[in-house]
Amino acid sequence: MSILFAVATGIMFGLGIFQLLRRDLVKAAMGFYTLFTAVNLFMLAAGAFDGEVPAYTDQLANGQPSDPVVQGLLLTAIVISLGSYCLILGLVNVSANRFESVDSHEVDQLKG
Amino acid sequence: MEPGLILIPFLVAVLVSWLPGETARRWAHWGIAGVMLALFIWVLALLPTIQAQGPIVLSYTWVEEFDLSVDLYIDGLAALFALLITGIGAGVFLYAGYYLQDDPRKMRFYALLSAFTGSMLGVVLSGNVLLLFICWELTSIFSFTLIGFDGKNQAARAAASQALVITGGGGLALLVGLILLGSASGSFSFSEILSQNLSEHPWYAGITILIMLGSFTKSAQFPFHFWLPGGMTAPTPASAFLHSATMVKAGIYLLARMSPTLADGGLWVTGLTTVGLITMLLGAFTAIRQRDLKGLLAYATVSWLGTLVFLLGLPHGEGYVAAMVGIIGHALYKSPLFMVAGAVDHATGTRIIDKLGGLRKKMPGAAATAILAGLSMAGIIPLLGFVAKEVLLESTLESHNTLFLIAVVASASLTVAAVLIFVWDVFFRPAAAKHEAHDAHEAHDAHHGHASSPLMLVGPGLIAAAGLVTALGLEQLIEPLVALASPGEVSLYLFHGFNTAFMLSLTAVALGVVIFLTRRIWLGWSLTTPLTGTKAYYGFMRGLNGAGDFVLRSQSGKLSHYLAIMLGVVGVLLILPASQYLGSTNLTFTFNGSSDFMKAVLLVLSIAAIIASIRFKGHLLAALALGVAGYAVGGIFLLEPGPDVAMVQILVETLAAVLVIVMLSRISESKRKKAADAIWGSGKNILRRDILVSVLVGLGVGAFAIAAVVNRPMRDTTVPDWYLNNAGQVGVTDVVGAMITDFRGADTMIEIIVFAMAAMGVLTVLYLTRQKTEKSSFQVPASLSQISTPLTRLAATLLLPVAMVIALAHLLYAGSAPGDGFTAGVVGGISVALWYQVFGYGGKRLRRLRPELLIGIGIMLAILNAVAPLLSGGAFLQHNDFGDVPLPAGLHFTSTTLFEIAIFLTVFGSVITMINAITNPEGIEEL
Repeated sequence: MSILFAVATGIMFGLGIFQLLRRDLVKAAMGFYTLFTAVNLFMLAAGAFDGEVPAYTDQLANGQPSDPVVQGLLLTAIVISLGSYCLILGLVNVSANRFESVDSHEVDQLKG
Repeated sequence: MEPGLILIPFLVAVLVSWLPGETARRWAHWGIAGVMLALFIWVLALLPTIQAQGPIVLSYTWVEEFDLSVDLYIDGLAALFALLITGIGAGVFLYAGYYLQDDPRKMRFYALLSAFTGSMLGVVLSGNVLLLFICWELTSIFSFTLIGFDGKNQAARAAASQALVITGGGGLALLVGLILLGSASGSFSFSEILSQNLSEHPWYAGITILIMLGSFTKSAQFPFHFWLPGGMTAPTPASAFLHSATMVKAGIYLLARMSPTLADGGLWVTGLTTVGLITMLLGAFTAIRQRDLKGLLAYATVSWLGTLVFLLGLPHGEGYVAAMVGIIGHALYKSPLFMVAGAVDHATGTRIIDKLGGLRKKMPGAAATAILAGLSMAGIIPLLGFVAKEVLLESTLESHNTLFLIAVVASASLTVAAVLIFVWDVFFRPAAAKHEAHDAHEAHDAHHGHASSPLMLVGPGLIAAAGLVTALGLEQLIEPLVALASPGEVSLYLFHGFNTAFMLSLTAVALGVVIFLTRRIWLGWSLTTPLTGTKAYYGFMRGLNGAGDFVLRSQSGKLSHYLAIMLGVVGVLLILPASQYLGSTNLTFTFNGSSDFMKAVLLVLSIAAIIASIRFKGHLLAALALGVAGYAVGGIFLLEPGPDVAMVQILVETLAAVLVIVMLSRISESKRKKAADAIWGSGKNILRRDILVSVLVGLGVGAFAIAAVVNRPMRDTTVPDWYLNNAGQVGVTDVVGAMITDFRGADTMIEIIVFAMAAMGVLTVLYLTRQKTEKSSFQVPASLSQISTPLTRLAATLLLPVAMVIALAHLLYAGSAPGDGFTAGVVGGISVALWYQVFGYGGKRLRRLRPELLIGIGIMLAILNAVAPLLSGGAFLQHNDFGDVPLPAGLHFTSTTLFEIAIFLTVFGSVITMINAITNPEGIEEL
């Protein structure tokens, strides 16, 4: 099953990259978010075992609990990806205000 | 015996810049000259030791790990050069003090010249090739600052860059040569290298050519000679020092230093004698045609440097002794002549020979110095220059090469003519066109001419006198020094009798007089060369600029192009090792039960939703599709089963969708539509390229992911099991919560700070670029205002307190149920976002919510909670149990509860900050 997750990670990553390469900066921001999702999914798949019950101490008797390590990492990763996404959206907004465009080809003041 | 002594000139350079007080500044040059003299005496005092015990080797470990040390290697050759540098240096500093008497920049000049002296001493005293190279480059850099000292003068700047490019370029060749040399001889230290003869080594040709390139550029040999006359834009004291005794002699020093190791090869002999002879003749011919006094001296220097290179190149070291004598003789006459030229310039305001004349009466001191030094340059007995010319002619005779002999005599005659032009035309010839010159002279005096201090000529006078004293005391003063610097026996005589060399010397003088007397005839000849070094240099620089422009043109300035190139490279780099790794793994596929089936369905759903978000042209739809993908991933988390993670994922996804939608409403529809249309309008090739890059990266990441999950330590569950078994210790049942707030608490602390920083980042960028014109005029956009109906207003009013209660519940019962400080913060944030969407920013009811205060309190609380145990002797973030609290029921209050509250406050504050900034940048108050 985890192989399926890994394949899905690869597909999502590729799609995210494609989205990231768009000239439309809003779409590029969404591409970033897709990359975050793909990475989070990969992190889950990299857990040591698949669980049957949630990782709660009072559930341990009921079966194999899920791997708490990857979940602990994921929890922070998800919140951080929200923060990054907001920052990227803020930058897109800046581009719209300052360069009057969200088409990255028109934002050419970066050229030396 | 302190190796640090060579740092003294640098120390002087630093100190002199800070020198306070006008009096101290006025006399500073005497102080520096004194320091130079002290160094001179220090080197002098070393001579008996060198004579008795051989080279002095001092070593100071610099970086032990890299086996890097600062070594000094002081043998006769090094001492000879060190004496010249410090001795001439003392005279030059004395002179500079009066030359630049009224110049406000003179302290800067002293500092630079002193630092240059230090670098030059470093070159000749360093005991390993790497230190030598560092000092070598330092001399290039300081000579750049000295040549371009008059930075406001465009010609000075151009000359300085030219000198730097040429000597620096040679320096690069030298670096490679020295590294090859070190590898070939197995050591970078001179004491080791000099004991070897590499002329049979397979790398001999490479090493020799590279080292020759370095030396030739530094010592202004053909075809790199042109930078030296250009370098005459330096203030005269610098010219006198750099271009007679030091900078240009560095190349000569290196050749002499390397001659035990490299001189036996044929390449050395051919290369040095050929280049030396060409430079010698070219310099001499050009010198006599110069009308600028310094230009004449500069080309004469080029000629003499060529002579020295030629001497060092003579087979079997036949010319070595002559080169040593020549180095000393040249330094002792050329620097005074430069300084006299400077004094003339100083007094009359010009250096053009045609405008000068009859200065003998006006400047008797300068005239005397010029005669003394000039006689030495012309090689007239009894001056050191005469001895130098005698040994030069003898060495040339020994080589039994008529061509060499003719060239040497020709160059000697031309040198005699140059001296006559310098001395006679400036000091003795009646001033040309007297009546005219008189007026001009008056004007010059007013504008340029300065009253010179009689002390100005003390420095050059002493050095020129040294040329006489050393010749008269040849056997006591010069012979031991040269003997120490040379491998074989040395015997020097002032007068050898009427032998062939003396006859040739007389011939040269006679020829020189004839050339001088006929100067009116040959000065009229026009000699133009189609390609001069300067032209070639500027052509090269233009080509370099052109190449730079060409490279710049390849920069499209388009973000997506750069990204495609970078990501494509990443994809290729990923796919190669990952696929190799995959080949050796055993792929087994297990699929059990309905849970896995559901996961597979959700995976397909999320991928389909992402594809949809790509396909949708409208941004709103794309954002919603992305939200669907996020929810599907949340579902997968739920099936893990990881209820905490799933809850955060779903809430974050909701908030992200809300934020995108709000942000889209801030960007005008037309702009977005234009950009969205450009997606598919980029052309088929762009699309193909993007698909290729995406597939490459996707394959790479997929292969990497498969390799990672297949090779994970299955059932090696030490870490997860530890968490599962120990979570109970911190009084919670939620193992993930225990990790977040306790076991990995420091991680979480940093993470909330990062999140708060992201919020501040959003706030800052939007504040800085907000549209000031629209200040406070933002209303809920038409597309969104439809949601502001009585029903939604009621819902929002009700939801806000309800959401707060839910957040509180998440927070307080985080230890035993899904949800924690993060989810509480996001839930609170979403309800506030809804509030704004419905009520807009007109309502001031939520203004009392101070997000930055919440963030501050949250982070402070987190830190205090972590640090508090330290006060009672505990550990950072140690768990503390405060026991049961009466209300609310069932709550067990611990330090993790406090931490959850801190997380909530920080996340809630940050989310509100982001929402505020993105939805209403105009409303951001002054930061």
